[in-house]
Amino acid sequence: MTPIISLSHRSLLNRRGTVSLTVLAIALSVMMVLGVERLRHDAKASFANTISGTDLIVGARGGTIQLLLYAVFRIGNATNNVSWKSYRDIAARPGVAWTVPLSLGDSHKGFRVMGTTADYFRHYRYGRKQNLAFTAGAPFKNIFDTVLGADAARYLGYKLGDDIVVAHGLGQVGFLRHDDKPFKVTGILKKTGTPVDRTVHVSLAGIEAIHIDWRSGSRIPGMAVDAEALREGSLQPKAITAFLVGTTTRFGAFHLQRAINEYPREPLLATLPGVALQELWDLMGTAETALRAISVFVVVAGLLGMLTMLLSSLNERRREIAILRSVGARPIHVFGLFSLEAGLISLAGALVGLIFLYLGLIIARPIIDAQYGLLLSIGPPSLRDMVLLGLVVSAGILVGMVPAYRAYRHSLADGMIIRL
Amino acid sequence: MTSHAIRLTDVCFRWRKEIPPVIEIPRLSIRAGEKVLLRGPSGSGKTTLLNLLGGVTIPERGKIETLDTDWVALSAAQRDRFRADNVGFIFQMFNLIPYLSLVENVLLPCRFSVGRRNAAMRKSPDIAREASRLLTHMQLDVDTLHGRPVNELSTGQQQRVAAARALIGSPSIIIADEPTSALDADARYIFLDLLFREIEQAEATLVFVSHDAALSKLFDRTVELEELNNGVTK
Ligand SMILES: Nc1ncnc2c1ncn2[C@@H]1O[C@H](COP(=O)(O)OP(=O)(O)O)[C@@H](O)[C@H]1O
Ligand SMILES: [Mg+2]
Repeated sequence: MTPIISLSHRSLLNRRGTVSLTVLAIALSVMMVLGVERLRHDAKASFANTISGTDLIVGARGGTIQLLLYAVFRIGNATNNVSWKSYRDIAARPGVAWTVPLSLGDSHKGFRVMGTTADYFRHYRYGRKQNLAFTAGAPFKNIFDTVLGADAARYLGYKLGDDIVVAHGLGQVGFLRHDDKPFKVTGILKKTGTPVDRTVHVSLAGIEAIHIDWRSGSRIPGMAVDAEALREGSLQPKAITAFLVGTTTRFGAFHLQRAINEYPREPLLATLPGVALQELWDLMGTAETALRAISVFVVVAGLLGMLTMLLSSLNERRREIAILRSVGARPIHVFGLFSLEAGLISLAGALVGLIFLYLGLIIARPIIDAQYGLLLSIGPPSLRDMVLLGLVVSAGILVGMVPAYRAYRHSLADGMIIRL
Repeated sequence: MTSHAIRLTDVCFRWRKEIPPVIEIPRLSIRAGEKVLLRGPSGSGKTTLLNLLGGVTIPERGKIETLDTDWVALSAAQRDRFRADNVGFIFQMFNLIPYLSLVENVLLPCRFSVGRRNAAMRKSPDIAREASRLLTHMQLDVDTLHGRPVNELSTGQQQRVAAARALIGSPSIIIADEPTSALDADARYIFLDLLFREIEQAEATLVFVSHDAALSKLFDRTVELEELNNGVTK
């Protein structure tokens, strides 16, 4: 095969226009496959890292996934609340190490507002059991103190001491604004790569305060409450949206879960975060498979492009084949030449695709981070990436065998003396 | 050893089973070192006969011996190797590979045949210099033409490059299929003159196809295909 090695790259260079377009098509498809794979991997990792160290998530009875979505991912809403009484009752049970109440339903400039207690900053953990950390300030102490997630603070440009106004409801800009009771930023959290980054944390009392003169979502005239007066009074919530539980033992969690699910006074649902996360991820498995299938089809399309290019060049290359045959090239050399060209094109496509992937990552990383709170990894290619690249190149060589075989047949049929 | 470079005995060839044979030649022999003009009108089977002489196609009957080797008795791979070592080809036109340089085009046979590579190195210190030597003999100025794409050369120049390529590594037989038909009269005579000089020097055998009767006098012998061939052509 040595005689044709230098021929193949000279021949490719000679057709650099069509060849580079083909390489580009393959490169884009390779970038897509690797990108999807990385996105999937990183999303899964970040997903599994959203919550850790919590043994149970408890909310009103409904779907496990729905509970996980609103309590942890701040997506969607709870259909029902958990009464304060039930919460206190469960929190006081033996085997419960800690609880953190969560009260959701308000927003600030598109960021979810969550009422909780200072315990949240002590017990909420993510990733490998990491605690929340502050870049500035400290947990809230007063009713109108607020602690911002890293992205919320950065995106809104807030600093410690800034006043913010919380809107009722969840619109991008809530049309009912609780602007009579401004909150003060007293803490900003370090980035976690979880929905915490996009959350505005206030105390439960703060949530109560902004709703005290509101009933069923609209303001009751003449019921305005003075913010200063509120600071004095005790604001005990009647209900919360959900709460997180830490148990003293692992076994205690199962036990408690059953007890909560059978709670007689109120229909409640307790779920193990790991189980719920897996369930949610499985739910997205279809989308994941679809995305993967699409990217495989894109690669197939790229390779078909190469096949088309090689096949259409075959006719104009019949003479070239005949000349090569006349100077001593054997049909197997002709076959090798075409296979090698296809192999080189796919190899170039794979390498350029890899370069595109990293360029794409550099460009897309901050955008995806800002939009979805997902920080993509820019590590070296994984073993899986290498296997994928290997598969693309092998598939390319395989595809190249079609025109190679045709060329081989031509070289046998035409001999070396082609008739014009 | 006989002095025959090529000998056909009772050869019959047809392109397809259902059509009558195009070539039916009871006997034809060409001596080593002979320069033969194979003449005949278009469609009379000249190219087909060259295919047979060069072992490109195989007759359904008969023997085609070149240098005492019967093509028919060889396997396809053996034929390819034997051809690469012993036969140089020149076609009517478009002889060159567009993405290779002048010298690389001439060197092509040395890539595929060790025999011709060694033969070329016996004549010059290295094969590239042998290619340049042949090109110079063909009155091509390698230095000025080298950087240029080969398809920018004139047809006459391209045919001379093809001749240099057929000659490199001194194959015993040169087969030329109407190499001058695309050239004007002047270029035609220059080409033949240069080709003959090199072939005589190499003591090669030449089978040259043309329908141009005026060339007859330049050759040792002229074979009229229609007189020789009993095959059916239109
Ligand atoms: N590859 C081929 N397949 C089928 N028929 C062919 C092929 N090549 C030549 N022929 C036929 O063989 C006959 C002789 O052709 P050819 O040898 O090319 O003639 P010439 O070279 O004298 O013009 C013609 O009738 C032609 O149609
Ligand atoms: Mg012909």
